[in-house]
Amino acid sequence: MTGPGTPDPDDPDLRAAEYVLGTLDARERAAVEREAARDPAARARIDAWEHRLAPLAAAVPAETPPPRIRAAVLQGVRGAGHAETRRIADLRTQVRRWRITAGGAGLLAASLALALMVVPFREPSGGRYLAVVQGGGTLPALIVRVDTRTGIAQVRPVNAEAPTDRSLELWYVGAQGPKPLGLVAAGQSQVRLPAGSAANGVIAVSVEPPGGSPTGQPTGPVVYTGKLLAE
Amino acid sequence: MADDATLRRLLAGIARGDAACLADLYDLTSPKLYGLILRIQRDRGLAEDVLQDVYVRIWQAAGRYRPEAGPPMPWLATLARHRAIDSVRRKTEVQGPDLDNGEDWVARLIDPHDASAAFLDRDALVACLNRLDPSHRDCVVLAYCEGLSREDLARRFDRPVNTIKTWLHRALAALKTCMEVAS
Repeated sequence: MTGPGTPDPDDPDLRAAEYVLGTLDARERAAVEREAARDPAARARIDAWEHRLAPLAAAVPAETPPPRIRAAVLQGVRGAGHAETRRIADLRTQVRRWRITAGGAGLLAASLALALMVVPFREPSGGRYLAVVQGGGTLPALIVRVDTRTGIAQVRPVNAEAPTDRSLELWYVGAQGPKPLGLVAAGQSQVRLPAGSAANGVIAVSVEPPGGSPTGQPTGPVVYTGKLLAE
Repeated sequence: MADDATLRRLLAGIARGDAACLADLYDLTSPKLYGLILRIQRDRGLAEDVLQDVYVRIWQAAGRYRPEAGPPMPWLATLARHRAIDSVRRKTEVQGPDLDNGEDWVARLIDPHDASAAFLDRDALVACLNRLDPSHRDCVVLAYCEGLSREDLARRFDRPVNTIKTWLHRALAALKTCMEVAS
């Protein structure tokens, strides 16, 4: 600030104020939003101005919108968007639960998705078990049969659907974080569990670019998971 | 207007993916948000598009609402205002007729249309706005309530855009100082 009557036009606080006021053009608005997304101090400047000026919004009278907007909003979220959003919300809950139960699973990003209803079936012989991994529906998504003596897992997709132009990749999530097991094939396949895999790890399936994650870690949403329970 | 506790409960339900909570939130808040949007985006068709977009965003972003950051209604109003402003800034060539010439927003604020317990600190803002040069104050209020751009304000006040920019900066800097003292 150069004096009481002539504020510095480049003052970031005034830019935040003008953003809140709405007097920046589209390009300037986008720049402010980008800055706020990466800089908490910039975000705080904006929030402070929102708070200062918010009472003005009380002066603006309400107006009832046409009923068709309500119908369009609700139809939109109950359709395709609903299932996806719901799945992500469930997933967040699931990831929180993993962090408590599986330690290293917390390495998966918080944006990852879900696993519901993992039903382990005991088998009579020791060292082997089945896990039925389900998504939201009634059909299981995958059946994973693990033999801890050989370190081999057999994976049979039942109802696991990859989005168009994407691959489903299988992960073993143990104390060291996610380890890639390979892509989920259309038919039954065998994968080798990483050395040192404990039977109490988690099997997860994420959506990845064709051919699998380029980074060696899950990059897309985790759409299925199932906990391996030792027999 | 719905009380904060109800709105918080509905936002939490929406964050869990409960569409019935979104329907209830819509019923409680859409007149206020549509009123805010329509003062800024005066094309009713476009204003309706903005309103629909705002509720889809609420559906997606409800999990980001933090109760400790303040009551829900200002959070919702902020979302609606910014989407309305984005809408008019994208389409600068057409602007509908003024809904109301010379609406005295500050007077309305002193005697607000709706019970506004959700909008706190009103008295400090009103007092500080009234200390500003009247033209500067009108620029601030018209920008906030009606979404006028610097160019719109330059036409309204028959001044160069740079003058309007200076007025806005002086007004905002003075407002901040005044409100810091008042709080």
